Amino acid sequence: MKKVITAIVALVILALMAWGYVDSASHGSEGHDSGKVEPKEIIFEHLGDAYGWEVPFSHTRKIPLPIIAFAQDGSLHCFMSSMVTSGDSYQDGDVVFKISTNEESGYKGKLVQVLGDGSEYRPWDFSITKNVLGIMIAAALVIAMAMSLRKWYKREGMKGPNGFKGMLELIIEFVYTDTIKPIMGKEAPKYGPYLLTAFFFILTMNLLGLIVIFPGGANLTGNLAVTMVLALITFAVTNLTGTKHYWKDIFWPDVPMALKCPVPMMPLIEFLGILTKPLALMVRLFANMLGGHMVVIVLIVLIMVFNGMFGVGVGAGTSVVSVALALFMLVLDTLISFIQAFVFTLLSTIFISMAHIHGEESKAVTE
Amino acid sequence: MELFKPEFGLVFWMFLAFACLYFILAKWAWPFIIKSMDDRASLIDKGVAYAQEAKSQLDNAKAEADALVADARKQQADILRDAAKMKTEIIEQAKAEAAVEAKKVTDAAQVSIEQARKESEHQLRQDVGSYALQIAEQVIRQNMSDDNSQRALVEKLLKEVESSN
Repeated sequence: MKKVITAIVALVILALMAWGYVDSASHGSEGHDSGKVEPKEIIFEHLGDAYGWEVPFSHTRKIPLPIIAFAQDGSLHCFMSSMVTSGDSYQDGDVVFKISTNEESGYKGKLVQVLGDGSEYRPWDFSITKNVLGIMIAAALVIAMAMSLRKWYKREGMKGPNGFKGMLELIIEFVYTDTIKPIMGKEAPKYGPYLLTAFFFILTMNLLGLIVIFPGGANLTGNLAVTMVLALITFAVTNLTGTKHYWKDIFWPDVPMALKCPVPMMPLIEFLGILTKPLALMVRLFANMLGGHMVVIVLIVLIMVFNGMFGVGVGAGTSVVSVALALFMLVLDTLISFIQAFVFTLLSTIFISMAHIHGEESKAVTE
Repeated sequence: MELFKPEFGLVFWMFLAFACLYFILAKWAWPFIIKSMDDRASLIDKGVAYAQEAKSQLDNAKAEADALVADARKQQADILRDAAKMKTEIIEQAKAEAAVEAKKVTDAAQVSIEQARKESEHQLRQDVGSYALQIAEQVIRQNMSDDNSQRALVEKLLKEVESSN
């Protein structure tokens, strides 16, 4: 009975939404002259980085964020993004900045310096963009969560936490005690902090990305730069702490001589393996999160596309289906957020522990 | 397609943010949290083991108490039986001793009676002897005038003896 009521309420909400959509579309058609919808633009604008943070119900009003850029002559320039996001040029000292609209240069949507001859130069851009701020918010949230748990243990000692802290503890138990410890063995306390940090950071970024409005909405783990940094750190930890036996197994593995002596086939494959591991980490997280976000946005944009093609009625009908499907996708993405954070941590754990072999086999032969 | 082209600024900030996060959490949060969780887990394990041990000890204690009570009962019965036995033994012994003592007393009495009898017999024999001698003396002194007078004399003397006895 309860389920039936929930379903009916959901349907009513969806129907109201359709009606509201028709209403707004008929009103908006006068003021909004941009009748043509550019799905690709909308999708990549939402998935990409930006110099301001959009607020709900407005496309032009944005939370201004600081822009930090080194111009061509090496001078440092800091100003708020609200100076340039409207499309204007901004003169800071004798340097003119604007956001590029040039399709050919490859800097479209990025901050560029307008040189004297009118050509565009891409400065060293250390701006606190939407994604950078999102990363900082995620980091702050992770610190707040971990510190709240620490404070609990400081204050309560042996008493078990409940509520949110209990859930945190459960996740830590799941990731550290049940996953990292069995794989790493006695090295777990050394690498556990890195792996736990990575897990909670990725999880928080994933979940923040699913929240549509500020402070969420930044597509963090669906951005190659973010996953690349994470994968590179695992790569660095793996290879910088690798043992002698790890390197021996790569460049002189225990295979028949023909496979490694005249033509170093196995060493080559093993060496490629070193590079593909972080690549797989990077692409897996990126593609999973980007895919989830993209499906949701495509479903929503579909409403506008169908509206433009077939009229308001079809758009209204599509909105019901699209929102229902998008909701399903978001629920699925919540699950994927956990799974991908865990998979990244699990694979990092395995890669690191694999680089810490101490040659048990070779020892057994010599004995 | 900026999504596939990592932006240097974002990489820089991401690395910085992750490094800061790692150093803060690795220094203050994770080791402490993991230690606390391990401590609590071991405390709970110890508590369970302790409770189990306490329960088994309690069960044992009951059995031990029962055994002690049974033992005490048995000892009590033994003691009572021993006491009864000892009582009869003492009585028997006292009886035997009394009998021996009594026999000794009777024996001594018999000896003394025997002695007295022997003494009195001896006395009587002497007395009878002396009387016989006196009588014989008298008889001899009266001499042989006639048999009648002699016989009368003997008769008279015998009467005297009888009357003196």
